[in-house]
Amino acid sequence: MEYWKDETEPITAFLKLFEEAKKDEELSSGLKKVNQLIWFDYTEDGPNCSFHIDCRGGKIESGAGKPSETPDLIMSLSADDAHRSWSNKLNPVMAITRRKIRVKGSATGLLKLAPKLKKVATIYEGVLRDLGWQDKILK
Amino acid sequence: MHGNTGTIIGVDLSEGRVDKINPPEEWYLCYVGGSGLAAKYFWERGDLEADPLSPEAMLLFMNGPFAGLKLSGASRSSVGGRSPLTGHWGDSSCGGYFAPELRYAGYDGIVITGRADKPSLILIEDERASIEDASDFWGLGIGETNRGLKERYGKNHRTLVIGPAGENLVKYAAILNEGHHAFGRAGFGAVMGSKNLKGIVVRATRKEMAIAHPERFAELRGDLNLRIKDALASSVMRENGTAANLEGGAFSGDVPIRNFTSNFWEEMGEALAGSTLTEKYLTRRWQCAYCTVRCKRVVEVPDGPFAIPEGPGPEYETIVSFGAMIGSMDLAAACKAGRLCNDFGMDTISAGGTIAWAMEAFERGDLTPENTGGVELRWGDMATVVEIVLPAIALRKGKLGELLSEGSIASARRIGKGSLAYTCHSKGLEAPMHDPRGGGHGLALTYAMSPRGACHVADPMLFIEMGACYYPEIGLEYELEPKTDENKPESAVISIALGAIENSACFCQFADREVTIPDWVELFNTVAGYGWDADEMMRTGRRIFHLKRLINYRFGLTAEDDDLTPRMLEPARDGEPEGIEINFSGMKAKFYELMGMDPEKGIALPETLQQHGMTGESSRVW
Repeated sequence: MEYWKDETEPITAFLKLFEEAKKDEELSSGLKKVNQLIWFDYTEDGPNCSFHIDCRGGKIESGAGKPSETPDLIMSLSADDAHRSWSNKLNPVMAITRRKIRVKGSATGLLKLAPKLKKVATIYEGVLRDLGWQDKILK
Repeated sequence: MHGNTGTIIGVDLSEGRVDKINPPEEWYLCYVGGSGLAAKYFWERGDLEADPLSPEAMLLFMNGPFAGLKLSGASRSSVGGRSPLTGHWGDSSCGGYFAPELRYAGYDGIVITGRADKPSLILIEDERASIEDASDFWGLGIGETNRGLKERYGKNHRTLVIGPAGENLVKYAAILNEGHHAFGRAGFGAVMGSKNLKGIVVRATRKEMAIAHPERFAELRGDLNLRIKDALASSVMRENGTAANLEGGAFSGDVPIRNFTSNFWEEMGEALAGSTLTEKYLTRRWQCAYCTVRCKRVVEVPDGPFAIPEGPGPEYETIVSFGAMIGSMDLAAACKAGRLCNDFGMDTISAGGTIAWAMEAFERGDLTPENTGGVELRWGDMATVVEIVLPAIALRKGKLGELLSEGSIASARRIGKGSLAYTCHSKGLEAPMHDPRGGGHGLALTYAMSPRGACHVADPMLFIEMGACYYPEIGLEYELEPKTDENKPESAVISIALGAIENSACFCQFADREVTIPDWVELFNTVAGYGWDADEMMRTGRRIFHLKRLINYRFGLTAEDDDLTPRMLEPARDGEPEGIEINFSGMKAKFYELMGMDPEKGIALPETLQQHGMTGESSRVW
């Protein structure tokens, strides 16, 4: 991995990102509209390198690892590309076309959130600062 | 022959003659089919001096070699000829059910000249083709005509029909298949109207076609159908139609707002999105023949001022043309306007673009109530659009109808006052609903270079800049940033050649995203037996592009016409692309250089034509 020293680092950062994103009214409302159980699968970088968010039924819950229930959507990619993606440095359409991101399930809901990636990136930068990982911020 | 049948129906409506024509086989190999073969036929046998609405004008419907294959995306065909809207070469593509039926009946196309002495239709039933009286259908809308034809001939007969707009020679009149699928662009509905031709009806008994290597094709077909069906883009469009990503486009600045005066309108994205259409008005999903993408919509608006019964629903271009482009985010109104255009038989892009120009002109005071017969045209006033403007255009009713039925460019020329500067087109064809300032600067280049005028489906540049496709086998591996000119001419030369192939093979641009270059070559070789490699296929694509440019040169177009309007090239005023300049002249010069074209004449140099086996064509212009 280019940006992470081990598989726990990205999951720490991404879970904190979602905790912060929940506090933003626009993103929170957008996530609730997705109404899916999503597994972000980075296990190509380690068996424990994944997390999930559950935005079904008007709630937003997140946790490390694969969800216990069958996910509605699985996004599989590397932890480095996930870092680029949350930093808004990875064109998601291009990444899917070039198989850097593999999608299983309906991505319609998530597609509606794609325009919000710029805002997510701003929050993510704050998360990295809070974690003392300024060196990981992509310019 | 394989794929293609080698036989075209020739119809002279003045003489009442129907002939079977076998064009030279070489034409198929060099120009494939669809708009490429139509252009070759027109170049060799058309009357290039003829007014597009005169009896002498040639109207060409042409299949590609894949029509009739049970393959997603392959059931399209092309219409071509001299466009009454632009005055030069035009072509338009349509999905649906006509192309396979024509192929099964044994034909690659229909070439029509002359003018019938009364409203007529062409009836093709297997090997029999005849001209029939259609007087009782004249004046009817497309829906009623389609139903009437099926009652008369049978529900499985496939139809191509014009509506009142075509009969009244509206310059952007469309031709519809089964009342749902449109040859929308460039006004060929008016050409049919000028020939007193209300429709074409076709029926084939046997659903068979000859394939060069059936076993190899069967394997490829199974693989492609599965990949196309399972592709993310397909599943997204199946769920929410071609407007599935309208919200993304609204944020990136790709969606034109109020006649290209703005690139950002946040609330509009969700209001007009495909998902909103699904939630509010979708009753069924629909598809072209054999297609698993199923991007077509069937909708009903149950109540309110824009209520419509269940029927054909709008796709992306229609939603934006009758939404953001004219300052409305009323999705029900867009559904209603689209339905009206379907029934009148009008291109929604040119209709929306023309109305958007008129609204801006009225708001600025360049267009006055005296010009419009007292009708006020205000941004977003969809009641006026639906109740007054669209019927007036289709029926050429009153001053407003007479003016706007000629399209935005002719209307602007007529009223003057500098209003040409805020038309949005290239070569006289109103721009589609993708603003190159936000959608991608390469799109500005390919809009301008497209032989028929501003067009987002002449080639896959829109998808290439979006990141939705790349072709390493032919050197297209760039990771493009849409809002710059970097590597855009280099990408465009590949894109336009591939686009010419797509439109000559008559393959859908949505299904096509899963088709790789090796797949393309294998398709041509297993179906039509062309024996191509990728280089020869791309050389053929460039040849088709060059031929259409030569036709336009004969119509008087030069490099000066490869342009966009000041409105489309001014830096965006807001949104993501705000303030960014498009390096249009730089991209254009590089494109000509890479393509081996003359930068003043706008056509291929003699040595370029020679490299593409076009010495005969060269001698007619150099």
